[in-house]
Amino acid sequence: MHDKNFMRETLLQGAQAFQAGKLQRRSFLALCGMAGFASASVLAGRAEAAAGEIVMWNWGGQSEECHQSAIGAAFTKDTGVPLKFDTSGPLQGKIKEMVDSGNVTADVCDADLFDAVALGKTGHLEALDYSVIDKTKTIDGYALEFGISIILYGYAFMYDTQAYPDGPPTSWADFFDTAKFPGTRSLYKWANGSLEAALMADGVAADQLYPLDIDRALKRITAIKADTIYWGSGSEAHDMIVNGEVSMGMVWQNRGRSIETETNGRYKLVMNQALAMPGAYIVPKGNPGGADVMKFIATAQSVPAQLDLFACLGMTPTNPEAIAQMAEADQPYSITSAANMPNIALNDPTWWGENTDAAVNAFLAAIS
Amino acid sequence: MRLPVNSGWLLVLPFLLLVGGLFLGPILNVLWISVTDPTPGVQNYAQLGSSDTLRRILWTTFRVCVICTAFSVILGYSIAYAMVHATGPAQSRMLGLLLVSFWISVLVRTFSWLMLLGRNGVVNSTLDALGIISAPIPFMRNELGVLIGMVHYMVPYAVLPIFAAMQSIDGRVVQASRSLGATGAQTFWRVYLPLTKPGVVAASLVVFIINLGFYVIPAVLGGGKVLMVAEYISVQVLITLQWGTAAMLAAILLFGVLALMFVMSRFMKLSTVFGGART
Repeated sequence: MHDKNFMRETLLQGAQAFQAGKLQRRSFLALCGMAGFASASVLAGRAEAAAGEIVMWNWGGQSEECHQSAIGAAFTKDTGVPLKFDTSGPLQGKIKEMVDSGNVTADVCDADLFDAVALGKTGHLEALDYSVIDKTKTIDGYALEFGISIILYGYAFMYDTQAYPDGPPTSWADFFDTAKFPGTRSLYKWANGSLEAALMADGVAADQLYPLDIDRALKRITAIKADTIYWGSGSEAHDMIVNGEVSMGMVWQNRGRSIETETNGRYKLVMNQALAMPGAYIVPKGNPGGADVMKFIATAQSVPAQLDLFACLGMTPTNPEAIAQMAEADQPYSITSAANMPNIALNDPTWWGENTDAAVNAFLAAIS
Repeated sequence: MRLPVNSGWLLVLPFLLLVGGLFLGPILNVLWISVTDPTPGVQNYAQLGSSDTLRRILWTTFRVCVICTAFSVILGYSIAYAMVHATGPAQSRMLGLLLVSFWISVLVRTFSWLMLLGRNGVVNSTLDALGIISAPIPFMRNELGVLIGMVHYMVPYAVLPIFAAMQSIDGRVVQASRSLGATGAQTFWRVYLPLTKPGVVAASLVVFIINLGFYVIPAVLGGGKVLMVAEYISVQVLITLQWGTAAMLAAILLFGVLALMFVMSRFMKLSTVFGGART
């Protein structure tokens, strides 16, 4: 997979150099000829980008089959348009690079709503068509010009029930209190969620978090640095907990339930003061599949699709109707359920879209 | 009539053009970005003077690389010494083992170290069960963890050039030294080690340069606290979109390596280091 991507990129760079006159025609053809399998993958890349299908750019693993069964099946049934996947992870830098290179091969990215703010501003995204997509089928404030939240994930923490038999931690203030609750912690290493958690621990109300006071948050975070390790991926966060490396660990909230099950309840999820993160669908500028992608996003908003995504990935629906239809047993794990809603914080995608660079770099400077 | 250049060059000309287009092109592009993004000028390079963070990251990278290179080369030297003095089948077995470890993916190694030396890993739980320690020894998720992981990865890279250098030594030189009255230690320090110097230098260069670009091992085994240049560049490219800063750091790495090779070339012929013709 990686090699295929690499060869494709190599050839694309060759093609660009050829176009720009930096590489001679003959050398370019020789390159294509030599890399027989690579030209096949370039063709495959073109095929991926052909009209008449929608390519979803997501994070691979389980999400591919979940998106196919929850959204793709219904979408293909309604429109006849198949859904395909690119599972290499649509990070902001990769989307920017794809659009700038002029070779857009994805129609919809499973990204964050703050990506919609950052990349919308710089002209890398298509505006959404709200005559097809329904603004009311998401949380208030999460339907933006260049992206709409389809599901929510979130930052919450889990603790080791055996480490704290006398009274478990219940808030971020407890999480950041190493005197009362000794033991190693884990936080997300690219600032998101970690900054909000520190501010809530410092007494900032959940609805007063933004604009984030970065310095105040970092003071709190560096105070427990000696007892903290940092993770960069969901599986790393999972491993730190189930391998017993930490007594309390921040996790992506949608993974909490499976960790509870896997450890037979030894590690418990605390949803109090969880930070809900709007996962968003965004469309790279000049997407090959055209306007069909808007219908795809509308399909993802439907109640059955939303409930299936929750069952499959643990991501909370944003469509209020879907939330209302969730089973009783699922409510505690749904970040915006009626019971959780008063105790959680909602991420502000606009602040993050405009301040990611400053926040992430200040965070990295503080923890390294 | 003789051509002004060796006609062999014509054969490799297409490949030279490819290297020019596909290798030098992107590198020039990176250099270009480093002085044009977000605005033309040298402000990205000026950050080196103003940002403590960047200087700290570069220093961490340099420190970790130097320590890792030293350990890798010392361990590699011992292994190569043992290999070169082993007889036929034993030597093949050792070479086989070395190559097998060469091929294990970096991710597998990283997670194996966590299982072995992690907080609840095999070593800590054994020591704990034996009553030797009361709290787990923090081997991993810190700079020590990064060094262990990196040295383990780099030892085979150090062994091979040193092994090649040792193999080319005429054994009679050592006998001659002993027969003229030198002790074993004297023979090693004054005859054997100097003869293997090109191998040691080659190993050090290769290990150091590969170390500079390490990404996965520091990111995982460092627990987020050992931030090296490669990971920082990746964050600036993918997450914060500060491509100018990323390109500047990449350029600094490139110039650093070139400077290192220049300094080395003042002390010895680099072509002998890399196995070229000895003149």
